[in-house]
Amino acid sequence: CCVVSSCFRAGEEEQQAQSKKALKKQQKEAEKAAKKAEKQAKLVSVRQETPVVFDVFSLRLCLSLSWIEADRPLVRVQDLTPEKAEQQIWVRARIHTSRAKGKQCFLVLRHQQFTVQALLAVGDRASKQMVKFAANLTKESIIDVEAVVKKVEQKIESCSQQDVELHVERIFVISQSEARLPLQLEDAVRPEGEGDEVRKVDLIIINLHRNLNTTTSQAIFRLQSGICQLFRDTLINKGFVEIQTPKIISAASEGGANVFTVSYFKTSAYLAQSPQLYKQMCICADFDKVFCVGPVFRAEDSNTHRHLTEFVGLDIEMAFNYHYHEVMDSITDTMVQIFKGLCDRFQTEIQTVNKQYPSEPFKFLEPTLRLEYKEAVAMLKAAGVEMGDEEDLSTPNEKLLGRLVKEKYDTDFYVLDKYPLAVRPFYTMPDPNNPKYSNSYDMFMRGEEILSGAQRIHDAQLLTERAMHHSIDLEKIKAYIDSFRYGAPPHAGGGIGLERVTMLYLGLHNVRQTSMFPRDPKRLTP
Amino acid sequence: MDHIRKDGDDDDDMNGEVDPALKALEERQDEVLRRLYELKATVDGLAKTVTTPDADLDASTLSRGPAESVFRGTADLDSLLGKDLGALRDIVINANPAHPPLSLLVLHALLCQRYQVLSSVHVHSSVSVVPPPLLSCLGPRHIDSYARQRFQLGFTLIWKDVSKLQMKFNTQSMCPIEGEANVARFLFRLLSAEPQDPLAATQMDCWIDTAVFQLAEVGSKEHAAVLRSLNSALGCSPWLLGQEFSLADIVCACCVLRAGQTTSAAANIQRWLKSCQNLGHFDCVNPLLQ
Repeated sequence: CCVVSSCFRAGEEEQQAQSKKALKKQQKEAEKAAKKAEKQAKLVSVRQETPVVFDVFSLRLCLSLSWIEADRPLVRVQDLTPEKAEQQIWVRARIHTSRAKGKQCFLVLRHQQFTVQALLAVGDRASKQMVKFAANLTKESIIDVEAVVKKVEQKIESCSQQDVELHVERIFVISQSEARLPLQLEDAVRPEGEGDEVRKVDLIIINLHRNLNTTTSQAIFRLQSGICQLFRDTLINKGFVEIQTPKIISAASEGGANVFTVSYFKTSAYLAQSPQLYKQMCICADFDKVFCVGPVFRAEDSNTHRHLTEFVGLDIEMAFNYHYHEVMDSITDTMVQIFKGLCDRFQTEIQTVNKQYPSEPFKFLEPTLRLEYKEAVAMLKAAGVEMGDEEDLSTPNEKLLGRLVKEKYDTDFYVLDKYPLAVRPFYTMPDPNNPKYSNSYDMFMRGEEILSGAQRIHDAQLLTERAMHHSIDLEKIKAYIDSFRYGAPPHAGGGIGLERVTMLYLGLHNVRQTSMFPRDPKRLTP
Repeated sequence: MDHIRKDGDDDDDMNGEVDPALKALEERQDEVLRRLYELKATVDGLAKTVTTPDADLDASTLSRGPAESVFRGTADLDSLLGKDLGALRDIVINANPAHPPLSLLVLHALLCQRYQVLSSVHVHSSVSVVPPPLLSCLGPRHIDSYARQRFQLGFTLIWKDVSKLQMKFNTQSMCPIEGEANVARFLFRLLSAEPQDPLAATQMDCWIDTAVFQLAEVGSKEHAAVLRSLNSALGCSPWLLGQEFSLADIVCACCVLRAGQTTSAAANIQRWLKSCQNLGHFDCVNPLLQ
């Protein structure tokens, strides 16, 4: 009988165990259901919290974006530093890359030259659907994220903001990008030599509106803006006046060959090759020191790495007291101030460009090194070049001379003074001590010419003689010669090209990289 | 001065005119003082001449007037530096502004007396700030400096962030010369004043190396030992090599001056330093010693 009762009891226990199991199972299911319900409720609440404007899960976008005036401050990517750790902030940026990995999505957000890593993980604040949504967003889309800034122990080498990452809580799409990009941005930023046969520069130019967005382009054009600003500031501090000169003119200033013709009502006119004539007229009007910044048009059919048909000219003209070196020193000092200013205030940009296009930092001497043409010829001859004493310097010779000067003086910037008269324009003042030479000078950066300048002839008669010597039609330059007939101060000047100076300062190799919308014989758009 | 005055104690009478006799007295007094000053200057000059031993290198010590510049022809430079190809023979020296090469400045002054030298000072972009005395250490800009071709020699000093002083001359055929002592030897040769006697030449080199390597740290045992040997050497003769002023004196004096504490130096050393100063070439060094 004991056996029977124990059996019975076992059975009962089993039954009890079974019902316990069932109970547990029921409990578990109930928990699950409760969690699911909670989640649903949360989703609903999230939906309810979001502003009317955006819908997180479907991509219905409000294009005008001016529904509400929110004063929610947006932090720039470049300001995301460890000081903001644990703060909850809003950031607007582009999606540079996005990569899903299981329950997490890694994003790199980019604004201008700056990138930061962002992490979206399934958890309290983000659902699985949200993570999936983020991973599927197209690259280059502009998004707003609400995130907490977190410090990282290991530096994130691939981003500009290396000490922090964002833990994203909300994402909204402001402007979506099409899925297929004409040019992958990583390709545009990859250093040369690491890729396909297609000329990178051409590919980049074709898709310029995409290319302007890369970190390198941002840096280049910010630096270019700096050059322009430093040029203006330095000259204004030296007492110069900025003038505006006309670009539609009646006569070609430098010579007939390389000038664009435009139809002008019933006749035709030309696009200015340089502001030369007008700068000088201002000097004759006693402005003393003038400069101008404006487009220059040269119809040269040269397809080289350093010629454009339209570029920005920064021109200077100055009256002097006794010697044209006063002007030359003023110009070289202006250049030195520009170099110093760039070095002081644009280090971030210089480093950014160097990452993609490594080059030696730009070196110079103060005061600027001045060599004479005869010395240059002697140096070239000593290095094995055969050339005449009064011959002009060819481009390869200029480059070689630049290397020789760099070797001896360790400078990338210098002036070559006293060019032979025969190779200079007709309005160049001859050297009073030696009629075969002239009071003219060229300035070089990294062995390439950036400025051609001289003392100008300010006497109408001498000017006429020189023009006749060069077989120039006097009728065409009558107005020019006339401007010197009523008292003209002795003066000198020169002009630089903004794109070329930017290119050479950064050690780049094609002027199209430093012109936002370059123009050459084969390129007219964008 | 028991001169009878017309009115009261004033020097001037009622009309504001000075008494002519008083005026004459004042003028006599001025005249006497002027002659006294002239006498003092002459005696000072003579004292310097007597106490400063002969230095053949420079004939201008006897007259403190404009230096007699002895311009040897360019034939010397052609044989020393190679044929002139029409380019200015420019000696480029890269020096760190933290350690100005005093002996080279003295040699520069000597070169300027012998040749027409175009001197210029530049600051390289690797250095941010250079104190003003270093910018004017080669003297005022030459009037003709706008015409480089008129000069026989160029002396271009560039203040640069370099670890060792460096000289570049003809980069196609010469490697750079490093170290102040070596550059000093090069420049001294341009003056054609090297001792012909090999024994003297060796002694000179020995003194130069001793100064450069062992006078560097003030207060060290080596420093004290060198000062002692300097003192004993100068006890026997006016200059380190005997009767002749040489590069050894220039380099050693500069090292001693740079180390400072010259007022507590031994008697012979002080006398010798004074003689160096009296030569006039060390004038450029004084502003840099502060």
